[in-house]
Amino acid sequence: MAKHIEKAPLEYSMCTGCVSCEMVCSMVHEGYVSPQTKRLFFKAGPVKTMLHEIYTCQQCDDHPCYEACPKKDEAMCIDENGIVYVNEKNCIGCGKCAKACKFTPSRIHVVKSKDKEERKAKKCDLCRTRPEGPACVQWCPFMCLAVSDRLPWEERQETDQS
Amino acid sequence: MTTEKKDDRLYGYAGKILRINLTDSTTEIIDSRKYLPEWIGGRALAHKIFWEEVGPGVGAFDPENKLIFADGPAGGTAIPTGGRAVMCGVAANNLPEQYASSSIGGWVGTVMKYAGYDALIIEGKAPRHTYLLIDDDKVSFLNADAIWGMLISDAQEAIFLAHGRDTFSMVIGPAGEHMVRDATITTSNDHTLSKAGFGAVFGSKNLKGIAFHGTGDITPYDIDKVLELRLKIGDYQHIPNPVTHQTRMKSVAYDVPAPNGWDYGKLACSPGCNSRCQRLMMNMTDAFTGEKVSQIEKCTSPAAFTLKNDFYMPVGTWVTSPMNGRSVGAQRSWAKPYDKNDPDYEIVSQMWGGDTVNYWNADFDRGAMLNQLCKEYGIDKWDFIIWNMTWISMCKQEGLLTDLDFGMEPDPESPEFIRHFIKIITYRTGPEVTLIDGSKRPIGDVFAEHMARAIRMLGKEKYGDSIYHGRYSNILKKPLDIPVSLEGGWGQCSHWHGRGFSGSQKWFWCANMMLDMVNTRDAMASGHTHVSTDEYKKILAEGPCYSQTLANAVLRTENTAILTDSVPCCEWQSNEPFYPEENAEQLYAATGEKYTPEELLKKADRARLLFRAILMRNYGRCRDQEVEEIYPFLTFPDPGGDYATWEEWNDWVDLYYKTVGWDLATGWPFRSTWEAAGLKEIADEMEKLGKLPPEGGTPGYVRKENPFNGHIRKVPQEYHF
Ligand code: SF4
Ligand code: SF4
Ligand code: SF4
Ligand code: SF4
Repeated sequence: MAKHIEKAPLEYSMCTGCVSCEMVCSMVHEGYVSPQTKRLFFKAGPVKTMLHEIYTCQQCDDHPCYEACPKKDEAMCIDENGIVYVNEKNCIGCGKCAKACKFTPSRIHVVKSKDKEERKAKKCDLCRTRPEGPACVQWCPFMCLAVSDRLPWEERQETDQS
Repeated sequence: MTTEKKDDRLYGYAGKILRINLTDSTTEIIDSRKYLPEWIGGRALAHKIFWEEVGPGVGAFDPENKLIFADGPAGGTAIPTGGRAVMCGVAANNLPEQYASSSIGGWVGTVMKYAGYDALIIEGKAPRHTYLLIDDDKVSFLNADAIWGMLISDAQEAIFLAHGRDTFSMVIGPAGEHMVRDATITTSNDHTLSKAGFGAVFGSKNLKGIAFHGTGDITPYDIDKVLELRLKIGDYQHIPNPVTHQTRMKSVAYDVPAPNGWDYGKLACSPGCNSRCQRLMMNMTDAFTGEKVSQIEKCTSPAAFTLKNDFYMPVGTWVTSPMNGRSVGAQRSWAKPYDKNDPDYEIVSQMWGGDTVNYWNADFDRGAMLNQLCKEYGIDKWDFIIWNMTWISMCKQEGLLTDLDFGMEPDPESPEFIRHFIKIITYRTGPEVTLIDGSKRPIGDVFAEHMARAIRMLGKEKYGDSIYHGRYSNILKKPLDIPVSLEGGWGQCSHWHGRGFSGSQKWFWCANMMLDMVNTRDAMASGHTHVSTDEYKKILAEGPCYSQTLANAVLRTENTAILTDSVPCCEWQSNEPFYPEENAEQLYAATGEKYTPEELLKKADRARLLFRAILMRNYGRCRDQEVEEIYPFLTFPDPGGDYATWEEWNDWVDLYYKTVGWDLATGWPFRSTWEAAGLKEIADEMEKLGKLPPEGGTPGYVRKENPFNGHIRKVPQEYHF
């Protein structure tokens, strides 16, 4: 599977429910914070256990979201590193990608723009244009998130075993 | 304030305030610009609205009481600790009922802003059991019959189920429904509006809860600054947060073995926070179903597990030096250890307190059960554990409970009794007892009126002021007196008052009791006094009741507490003596409004004085009222045997009043004080009410004689219940 964002196991780091990841994701992409424009999804755990989940786009190798896009390679695109991303300028907001996502809930939100004039797909692009890399990874205060090719919890396990 | 904003947008704010009339199910939108950014948000905003809208004579349970639920500009911006919110209104849990505020974490404040609102004004009384669904522009008054009667978690889960897991709520439990005066309003991650008893006010309004769903956006003014603050405020260490297995519950003040162990995780309280102050105790046994559940525990909940010794802390919890600057409050557990070579090491590492109080022995399972019962019924843990339960313990040991029929043998160490006691309070049941006025009421109904009232109903002299003989000072190596009821003032439980529950040094309890005195509730919600080591040395040299340094620190604490609840942010993660620009930086990042710390303190001054105005106009607040309210408890010795004489305390009050510009005779601000804070119109109003003292002070003022004749048991207090 291509590089994607993963959440840490509890033994390494527990998600505190701070939703900083969602807020910062929206903020660095849009310049404002909104639950509509986040590209990863916090799901509050059961009230009685408070073990929270984070749903992320898996950057699937077979990328059905990309395949479903009527404006393939103009709206939904794949870059040289295999990252499936949306070029919003060309997105017509048809929502086919969101429907085609293999996961529930869909890892794509199709939302109205701020002026409510048009709809655009919001999908994790692994912050491909940010020199600092994925914002959610950078700003999760507790290292609960990492890019799948470099998971600190696996590195630690390896060190532990050696 | 310098204005050089890029445009006149209301950055950081949602833009609307929503008025909700429960009586006729109507709503009204108010443009936030009517009050914001002028009144910042949160508590300062609420003071302004309450001053304008609620006059004297309104009780907590009157439909005319208004609850203002307000966030501030930092909410929804990812500024760390900025996700909190406050509620203000006439409180059920103080005596007499007065306007008070309460702060809360959870997701609700931020999601309210996503829905488009900086604040709600909740007024009237719903004709039937109701819960509100605020879904962006759509406000629904929904029938709550199906969730009325449910425990907190069940009601929360039902709301998630009905409206989706993006809909976040705050609800009351059965205690709030029965208007138990210390009932909470609780979020789905177990954060509560507790000490003001607003849960009971929800109950009186037939309101089970409020659920929020929002899809809007909040635009911080300066995103780079927001990100910079994420590395500066709170816990910015960027280290993992692993779950660990524990076999004990341990701190300096207690050590409780956990026979089956427990799993320890830490949670953040609110959106955008980079700290993790909430202890999540996992794999605990549900007190109702026996299934495995998690409990959030903070502050006082460890006392449920054992209360053999009072809670005490290193002096460095309150006295900060650059060495331990980050260890104020909650960060202590993972802050760097003190540097033993630092010249201030001796000051910050000293322990103070640690009386043996013998309220109850350690029992992990019983403690877990007690905490969970409080949570699920929706009763304030602090008050139930530290006041109701210690009272049971002390009265039992003094043989005072023989005339009271609880329906079973009262015993603070018996899980069966605890379960029974909290249940009869929640549902206002139990055997009838005869009150001091000869009338009869079920005993649970009496305690549902909360401790201050219950004790007066049963007879304060016996049930409130009797001396408990089981307290032993480990500093003096001798027993010390304490009354069986740990009442601090305004009908609130003692809290960092230096005696009975939380031992502390005299300067510290003098500061905290001054804060409580000029407030309406336990002020130690967002206003624990913090001083620097340099200030500490000066305070000790000047003497606690005569220290201008301490008076200045109390004023700073009052004002920063207002800012904390207005920006909003978290007091425990703030470090005001060493980072005075913190609130100004947060406000700039969120709103683009540039203030110096001094300008911001002026804004806080204005909100603090407006609060004073509310108390004067609505409740007749004056010097005699507040001094006599707070004084009795401080006649008892602290762990070092120290207390305050009438003269001493009044000298301290004089010093504080002078510091804040109030008349010594009346406790009323002078015209010059109002006007310096930009409140000329309030000065005019006070003049009309006959509450404007002459500049320079009331002529011929002579201090009142001690009405307590030297002892609390002589207090001639008249209360109506
Ligand atoms: S949006 Fe869904 S289908 Fe597309 S890459 Fe992400 S997870 Fe896979
Ligand atoms: S919403 Fe946009 S990206 Fe998604 S399928 Fe339609 S055009 Fe493509
Ligand atoms: S990698 Fe970037 S786009 Fe993807 S979820 Fe994280 S912050 Fe959002
Ligand atoms: S930022 Fe980290 S801790 Fe906070 S919600 Fe996201 S994954 Fe959880």
